[in-house]
Amino acid sequence: MSDQPRNETPASVADLQAQLRSAGYLASRGLATATLIGMRLGRPILLEGEVGVGKTEMAKCLAQIGGRELIRLQCYEGIDTYQALYEWDYARQMLHVRALSESELTDAAAVSGLYGPEFLIERPLLSAIKAGSSAVLLIDEVDRADDEFEAFLLELLSDFQITIPEIGTVTAASRPMVVLTSNRTRELHDALKRRCLYHWIGYPSFEEEIEIVRLRAPDAVATLAHKVVAAVQRLRDMDLAKPPGIAETLDWVDALGVLGTDDLDAAAAADTIGAVIKDRDDLELVEAELDRVVADA
Amino acid sequence: MEFVARLVGFGHALRDEGLPVGSDDVVTFCSAVSELTPSDLEDVYWSGRTTLVHRRDHLPLYDEVFRRYFLGHQAPAKPEPSESEPIAQGQSGTLNVPHSEPGTQTGDDRPMVLGRQASGVDIQRDKRFAECTPGELAALRRIMAQVRLEPPRRRTRRRRRDPSGARLDIRRMARDAMRLSHAAPVLHRVTRAERARPLVLILDISGSMADYSRNLLQFAYSMRRAAQRVEVFCFGTRLTRITPALDRRNPDDAMKLAAGRVLDWDGGTRIGVSLDTFIRRWGRKGLSRGATVVICSDGLDRGEPAALADAMERLGRLCHRTIWMNPLAGDDVETLPNTLGMMAAGPFIDSLESGHDLASLERFAGKLPHVG
Repeated sequence: MSDQPRNETPASVADLQAQLRSAGYLASRGLATATLIGMRLGRPILLEGEVGVGKTEMAKCLAQIGGRELIRLQCYEGIDTYQALYEWDYARQMLHVRALSESELTDAAAVSGLYGPEFLIERPLLSAIKAGSSAVLLIDEVDRADDEFEAFLLELLSDFQITIPEIGTVTAASRPMVVLTSNRTRELHDALKRRCLYHWIGYPSFEEEIEIVRLRAPDAVATLAHKVVAAVQRLRDMDLAKPPGIAETLDWVDALGVLGTDDLDAAAAADTIGAVIKDRDDLELVEAELDRVVADA
Repeated sequence: MEFVARLVGFGHALRDEGLPVGSDDVVTFCSAVSELTPSDLEDVYWSGRTTLVHRRDHLPLYDEVFRRYFLGHQAPAKPEPSESEPIAQGQSGTLNVPHSEPGTQTGDDRPMVLGRQASGVDIQRDKRFAECTPGELAALRRIMAQVRLEPPRRRTRRRRRDPSGARLDIRRMARDAMRLSHAAPVLHRVTRAERARPLVLILDISGSMADYSRNLLQFAYSMRRAAQRVEVFCFGTRLTRITPALDRRNPDDAMKLAAGRVLDWDGGTRIGVSLDTFIRRWGRKGLSRGATVVICSDGLDRGEPAALADAMERLGRLCHRTIWMNPLAGDDVETLPNTLGMMAAGPFIDSLESGHDLASLERFAGKLPHVG
């Protein structure tokens, strides 16, 4: 616990942007500002946005630049505290009891030893509280979890402490940095939102996206990157059910790279369109207009 | 100090425009700005945006207020909501739902009292809504408001204790064995827990459904009150989500608010297009995933039958079960009503209900918990 997050916190928004950039993440001014405020004030950050705009990636890069551990809690429907917080390892406890009774060690100390830390299975939230500021806690796709879980998170995010009846209360020595992401499949409760700093990540502009491609796929030919980004931007303007995100742009560049093509023409696009469009109805729509999509700007 | 007052004033300006800005938000905003460069307006902009706004829909309003407050731009004259289609002559955008039944336009504009006055009406549960007098309808709606509605249920991954469950609860037995090491072991059993399935109601409120739509809306309101995961949409020529409006405690308020949101009350019908909107805007995002979707419509569609069939097919893939409630079906729900729309949608419907009178709605409500 030698980390002192206060000293680690970047001096300014520009500083944070530069650090994220060196980790391969191009953060907009707004995102960097929200993050910096979150770091300084010890508030969780709630990132919302379309699929594949880099919400999860942001948390990963934050962990990387601060040299912190990334603790990830993937939410899903039906997630409960056993999967999020902690669980006792019953099987090991049973074995331990057996061993104790065979050697006839049944004093109070042996019994209380049964509820020692070695029998506690830590789940992400407990790990994050223990790790404190040396960790970035990513609560991914929180909109998928149930309302009840949201209420529980609310309590946790305000106090950063957990009471385990057999052991006592565990309080975070220093607050971990918390990033929540949501794909807006449902509206989150206002109470949870109020606890967090909110930032909406939109699709990047043409220039920003070129920058991202150059950062993440430095081997790609510049003209190819230009063409792919232009095509993806055109796809986003079409009335698609699932508009491609940045992840899809990068996949497309990679896919074309595997084929060894330096140019994006209709034929190459038709071969690799599966990297960007992942819905049959969209595919029909796009294939009909493929020439227009890959046309020169 | 003066600067803080300026920031707080900004919070107030946002609040005046209807953004839910709490005092705690303003405090966070001020401390956020003090962590950055207060003289840099861009820092002020972004700190405010991240601390004072909690949902995406509020961003445009925030931008507008920011421009006006810090940059002194004049607010443009409020444009009419762009997506609203022109309202036809003689129709009002904020129709009063409970009181505007067809058949009351006989010069009798006296507001109807839903209270004691209507309670004397004899209720026939199997009288078609279309044939009911306004008084009877009001009474019916009050009955409907009290019907105990239960949403369909589904099994979850979680398990709960059940003495007759099929699986042994090894975890509990291990815990017991440790605690009471010498007592005879007791077999604990578990079974799958259940939880409410999401329910999506899509109501046709076009002209041809006028006799039924208000009752269906009441039904939707009752459903929304009874269960957590209920979403309600209305459509005529276009689709409107009215779920938030139905969250009022007072049913009349809720219905008025819901009616206010819907612009094409009693207009034409474009079922296919409306369902397509639902799929694109909500269905794909997961709103209908695992849900029971109930479409209440007579199937008199002015759009392309192919578009409807297409939308129904896609909807079927995005939800658990599709139920079509068609008042024209009457008591005979075995045969499809003979409209083009119904014939197009027919192959993709899991079950057909009628909902033309109170008895059929009650029957439907009774069936609902078991359809999942």
